[in-house]
Amino acid sequence: MAARRSARADAASARRRVPPEQRQFNLILALMATDQGLTKHDILSTVAGYSERFEQADDKERTALERQFERDKEDVRELGVPLETVDQPGAEGDTRLQRYRIPKSQYRLPDDVEFSAEEVALLSLAGQVWREGSLTERSRRALTKLRAFGHAVESSVIGFAPSIRTREAAHDPLADAIDRRRQVSFPYLKPGLAEPELRRVSPLALVNHEGRWHLHAHDEAADAPRTFLLRRIVGTVRAEDAPARAPRPDEAALAQAELQQLFERTTATVVARPGSEADVVLRNRAGTVVEGEALIVRTTDLAVLADELAAFGADVRVEGPESVRKAVLARWREVVRAHG
Amino acid sequence: MADRTPPVKSGDKLALLLGLVPYLIDEVRVSVTQAAAQFETTPDQMRALVGYLIGTGEPGPDGLYLPQGLFDIDWDDFEQRDIIRFRQAPLDERPRLSAREAAALLAGLQALAALPGFAERDDLERLMGKLARGASGEVAPVAVQTRTADALRETVAAAVAAGQRLRLDYVTTRGERDEREVDPIRLESVDDVWYLRAWCLSREAERTFRLDRMASAVPIGDAEPHEPSTADAGELFRSDADDLLVTVELPAASLPLIADYLGPEDAVEYAGDRAIARIPLAHRGLVGRLAARLAGVGAITEPADARAAAAQWAREALAASGEPLD
Repeated sequence: MAARRSARADAASARRRVPPEQRQFNLILALMATDQGLTKHDILSTVAGYSERFEQADDKERTALERQFERDKEDVRELGVPLETVDQPGAEGDTRLQRYRIPKSQYRLPDDVEFSAEEVALLSLAGQVWREGSLTERSRRALTKLRAFGHAVESSVIGFAPSIRTREAAHDPLADAIDRRRQVSFPYLKPGLAEPELRRVSPLALVNHEGRWHLHAHDEAADAPRTFLLRRIVGTVRAEDAPARAPRPDEAALAQAELQQLFERTTATVVARPGSEADVVLRNRAGTVVEGEALIVRTTDLAVLADELAAFGADVRVEGPESVRKAVLARWREVVRAHG
Repeated sequence: MADRTPPVKSGDKLALLLGLVPYLIDEVRVSVTQAAAQFETTPDQMRALVGYLIGTGEPGPDGLYLPQGLFDIDWDDFEQRDIIRFRQAPLDERPRLSAREAAALLAGLQALAALPGFAERDDLERLMGKLARGASGEVAPVAVQTRTADALRETVAAAVAAGQRLRLDYVTTRGERDEREVDPIRLESVDDVWYLRAWCLSREAERTFRLDRMASAVPIGDAEPHEPSTADAGELFRSDADDLLVTVELPAASLPLIADYLGPEDAVEYAGDRAIARIPLAHRGLVGRLAARLAGVGAITEPADARAAAAQWAREALAASGEPLD
């Protein structure tokens, strides 16, 4: 009996200094238990984690507690919990009268969505594709939730392990801005130029094509769609106050298809020294076609391809188009000039 | 851009609670050790989580937490047998995924779909549909397209799966052709670059080979088993034995252009808006390649013979194309 009492006492004392995730979990339980919703006052005065502090709070402490509640709402929604705000009829926007609730039917996975052991194994493999950043974090949280099915979430034992890095600093702020539908601005170093330009865009989708991350966006200054290489965003991505344009349905898939079409039709003709590293690598490059001694190579951006080709030095000769030939020669001349 | 997210994330802990509760209810009766293993916590952490749950629940109509609204467990099972069995639970539903959580796994599945053996599976397609239906909102757009499988990758993948020894015609970054016999271990990719990790019979060591440097790969019979190491593909590929250290200078804003040359521990110093980075190169032949990457924005500053080698490399490239120096 003594042990039992002490375990209960532990539970009670743990409630007194409530960690954020426990306060948020209490909030979720409270908002799921109500049909008509709870007001902010209801929540702060009754839900464990707020209520202990609310009772003796002065004005300053109450303001702090309200801010805490605002952040908790954000955090809870971030995890996909459908926390709704319901206006009092006739008092729209009055935050004191607004009610909050979480409809159970939208909280829980639909009945027909069940994941088998094999599917959870596939999804854990899918989650391991990401090496860092927000995609890793979100995959991890998704898999934590899927552990509810009781199947093992473990590292792959099959002989394949694909991974995609998202180490460009621009990745997470852009994903955030797409999520929140905000315009962004960033300095962009256009291929072939020495100085970055400030661009302002409605970000629409992130697309990984041929191993490179691209932002598909609507350029607000040019009033036209544009695609940016994340690697060439060379400074801070700033979220602007202005709302962004809405993406088309399937924006990412459409943008990807457009990039692939661009890749198919944008080519350069190269001759590589037979048997050289350039020869082997360019033949193995995606989309390369061999025509006699020439190699037809594909790209989404000729200036980016010029960078790639210039790296092979004397092992390659560009036959055309003229813009790529000149760009490659210019890079070599730059190297001579900068190291002479 | 500094990482603004705090090091310990309550979001992860909340996700754990949301997943743990329906699991415990579903299992009906589960040992602390088994639940801990399922959620990758220690048994002590699992006991603490259960301890917390017992003290919580949903408030009643008057805002008071009444016993019938609280989680309740079988105390004898818990305290005497280390077993979790809930007698009462106000929440037993499995949570949906957030739109972005679903998007991250969806994009991961797209990357898997490019793997040999995965492309033709229709269960991937079904699983993608299920993920979208299991999300609480419109799935935010991320799309991944990796290379469609080619003949070389099919051959290597088949050799990994069947445990076949391969004879590789391999070209090194020094431009040398090598014939190697290897016993495949794993096929890995980083972005769109594919690597074969294998036991190299001529070196008697584990080595990583880039698929795009293989002029050919031919199966030549059964492989022998070897003890695999656990090192990361990138680490294995990065040579460290005879590194040549060069110093480069460029505008700080242009540093992302050489991100793939910079290891996490490589030193970068700043002088005003200029960045000075020290970069290890596996051999002298790579100096020109690095200089070309910097063309128009920066240069190798040290050592002097690396500068000379870069200039010479570019002169030879211009000459091979039949072009004058300026």
